[in-house]
Amino acid sequence: MEDHAERIVDKALELGCQDAVADVIVNRSYQIRFAQNQVVISNQWRETSASVFLVYNKRVIASDLKDLTKLDAAVENLVKIAKASRENPDYAGLAEGPFKYDRLAVDKRIVDLMDGSDFVEAAINGATAEGAQECAGSFWKYDEEHSLRTSNGVKGYDHRASLYLSIRALMSLESSGHGVACATRMSQFDPEKAGHKAGKIAALAKNPVGGEAGTYDIVFDPLILGSLIDQVGGRSSAYTVMAGLSPFAKKIGKRVASKIVTITDDGSADSMGRQRFDAEGVPTKKKFIVRNGVLKTYLHNTSTAKKFKAKTTANAGLIAPWPHVLSCKPGNWTRDEIFEECRDGLWLTNTWYTRYQSYLTGDFSTIPRDGIFRIKDGEIVGVWKDIRLTDNLIHVWKSIVGLSKTVDQVNWWGEVSVPTFAPYALARKIRITRSAE
Amino acid sequence: MADLDLVEFAVDYARQKGATYAEARFEHQRNEEFILKNSVLDALYITEDSGLGVRVLAKGGLGFAATNAMTKADVRAIVNDAVRIAKAARRKDPIVFAPEDSIVMEWSVPQKKKLSDVPVEEKIEEILHIDRELAALKLKILARFFQQANRQIDKYFVNSEGSKIRSFSPRVRLDYFLTVMHDGSAEQSHQSYGWSGGWEAVREIDMLRRVLDEAKSMQNALAHGKKSPEGKMDLVAGPMVAGIASHESCGHPTEADRVLGREASQAGKSFITPTSIGQKVGSPVVNVVDDPTIEHAIAFYVTDDEGVKARRRYLYKDGIINEFLQNRETAAVLGTQSNGASRAVTYNVEAIVRMANTFVEPKDWGMDEMLEDVKYGVYMKSFMEWNIDDKRYNGKYVGREAYLIENGEVTTPVRNTVVELTTPAFWGAVDAVGKDFELFHSGYCGKSDPSQALDAALGGPTIRLRNVYLR
Repeated sequence: MEDHAERIVDKALELGCQDAVADVIVNRSYQIRFAQNQVVISNQWRETSASVFLVYNKRVIASDLKDLTKLDAAVENLVKIAKASRENPDYAGLAEGPFKYDRLAVDKRIVDLMDGSDFVEAAINGATAEGAQECAGSFWKYDEEHSLRTSNGVKGYDHRASLYLSIRALMSLESSGHGVACATRMSQFDPEKAGHKAGKIAALAKNPVGGEAGTYDIVFDPLILGSLIDQVGGRSSAYTVMAGLSPFAKKIGKRVASKIVTITDDGSADSMGRQRFDAEGVPTKKKFIVRNGVLKTYLHNTSTAKKFKAKTTANAGLIAPWPHVLSCKPGNWTRDEIFEECRDGLWLTNTWYTRYQSYLTGDFSTIPRDGIFRIKDGEIVGVWKDIRLTDNLIHVWKSIVGLSKTVDQVNWWGEVSVPTFAPYALARKIRITRSAE
Repeated sequence: MADLDLVEFAVDYARQKGATYAEARFEHQRNEEFILKNSVLDALYITEDSGLGVRVLAKGGLGFAATNAMTKADVRAIVNDAVRIAKAARRKDPIVFAPEDSIVMEWSVPQKKKLSDVPVEEKIEEILHIDRELAALKLKILARFFQQANRQIDKYFVNSEGSKIRSFSPRVRLDYFLTVMHDGSAEQSHQSYGWSGGWEAVREIDMLRRVLDEAKSMQNALAHGKKSPEGKMDLVAGPMVAGIASHESCGHPTEADRVLGREASQAGKSFITPTSIGQKVGSPVVNVVDDPTIEHAIAFYVTDDEGVKARRRYLYKDGIINEFLQNRETAAVLGTQSNGASRAVTYNVEAIVRMANTFVEPKDWGMDEMLEDVKYGVYMKSFMEWNIDDKRYNGKYVGREAYLIENGEVTTPVRNTVVELTTPAFWGAVDAVGKDFELFHSGYCGKSDPSQALDAALGGPTIRLRNVYLR
């Protein structure tokens, strides 16, 4: 691995490149998908590839090389194309290495795992014990090694391994619940708990009726709050700000959430998303995106940092900065207090299909799925279906009045794109719409 | 290209190892992509993505494994993996595939101007030209973001039933995102166009005109747009709106794997059940079609990724649920045959049931005829925000370019018209289908785990919906 990475960087420099990055990745991940309470397919990957980033006289070129038997020819071709390309005046170089990194923290039991069937069975059993009729989901063993070299002296090695299970339990088409389990230690992995949670919500969500449009207090379960945190993380990338894809443009130092909201990104935190360094080799670290409701920073690589007269936040991707592990700081309410304070509202447990009418203003909608519960004076008084949360991202975050003391690590298909630590949250006066028949 | 004998070796070796069925799919994708952000070429991505995926049936379980290392030892290793994990499935009812004839063939998509003959700098210059023309409009454009991508996909598919298929598919895409400001207010637009073929795509799609027209319409909406009216009224929806509705509220709910619950945890299920064939879902004038055989549409193919010949599928016909999108696994469960809807985004993921080019089938109404009967309503040409629930019953489309219709005339621009209707309410309200037709809009359709964002064309003619609730 190291040899390949070094060879790419050396060859690029020999051909006249000023900057070069090579990240050789060995992927040995394994997955089981299940549906109707049975395994539907198992997948195994054995891949070694190189993510490459080269700069020739400010002409930037990136590639993923899959044929590592012809590295010299591949680099020569990339440099040739780069020479014919155009300068990027916004490009401002790579971080200066070398760097020191935290020690590796990989669970060998995860790396050695060959069969995840028992985890799938445990999750399904957990859900069916609560009464679920049908379960579907995925079990993942993620296992990746990275060997990074840059022309600025970076030499980094990382081994990232984790376990993940996502389960949706259904009593019927419209009565369902969702649970996830995330762990970097085999001993902490609890798919059965995820199954119980999915099954409990599904059992509670029996016989839903069509919801009513209006303005409601909302209890956000960690999975759906994770989706809203994910929106903050993604929209705070300096790249999305520059591309007109963020409501956070020109809002550094301004209030974008209620005072009790603090959101951080920290790739060094023990989580499924933990990584020792970013794409430039900068050691990952904690930074406040939102602190006590105020927007503190965008996420940067070296080039975007220069553009915004800031410092890199160690969030470099090859082109665009991106969050690694997001976290919403817990509050001081118990879960019960969150529900007790919901006087006329809804408990939403999951969502999908979040889309914007205007990224600039943050006007968006998202579709709650799985259990949707009508709450009055802290008690569940009904089960709803067929509603849409139609509001504004900043307004939703400004409307948060309570956060639970505990957080869950969540990550979910499409909506919670990076591992995220999310509490329960209570928000006031959130707009709900529904389809006309 | 790698040693293609290894593809056949993989299938033979899998059978030796106990697979009752085996297939191997080698892909070599030459990808060229660049981003032009506010006139700056951010980066050029040049990638040659290649490798082999092997899928087997063994002891009633399904196993898939992939590698990018094309050596005999690596291929042997992934076959061993695939067979081992398939056998570990311990299913109560074995997975079987519906029978298919074997096919030996080669096919490719013609290119008038070969992608490999056009230097990347010429492609960049083409988009820079559009960008310069856009700037010359002298509008206040806060952000201009273009993403242009070209892919040349070579595949070699072999299965244990005797199929051997080689194919070549070149594809061109242009996505752009604009933010136009006027008097402190902003309008945003994201459009995505695609073409199966060569660099002639730029002229065929008429990209320059489309981008300039879009920017002008955004300015017009900002300068003259009114709040969209609320209440029940007629809606005339352009090809782009007809296309997204076809994709979201017809194509997705008729995917057989979704109907059978295989995607329940991620992309969801469907309001349609296995017994829904023959049930009414729209007015009798509605035919929604998915057709991979339209040659230059972005999702053109002759055979799918299970080696099954593609054909046109009438998903909704005369307003009735008519046919599901099937692969060999779902077809066996439902006692039918595959209709060639199985696709994978790259070599390293399994092929699953996917839409290709989905649209409302055109009929014979002229635009003027459709408008002249409308006393008061909205003409929605395009949309920005959209979403739909995971059973595909509650859809929402928010207008980007839209106008009032008053006494048969298209008049003032209106902003953010919201169409939030159930699927039967949407298709049931259609009373007129135009003779115009367009199929250039292309989405990245997301499904499966790991997620596969796949090329899909969305289109159709202009359609008219009577007396629907808008706001």
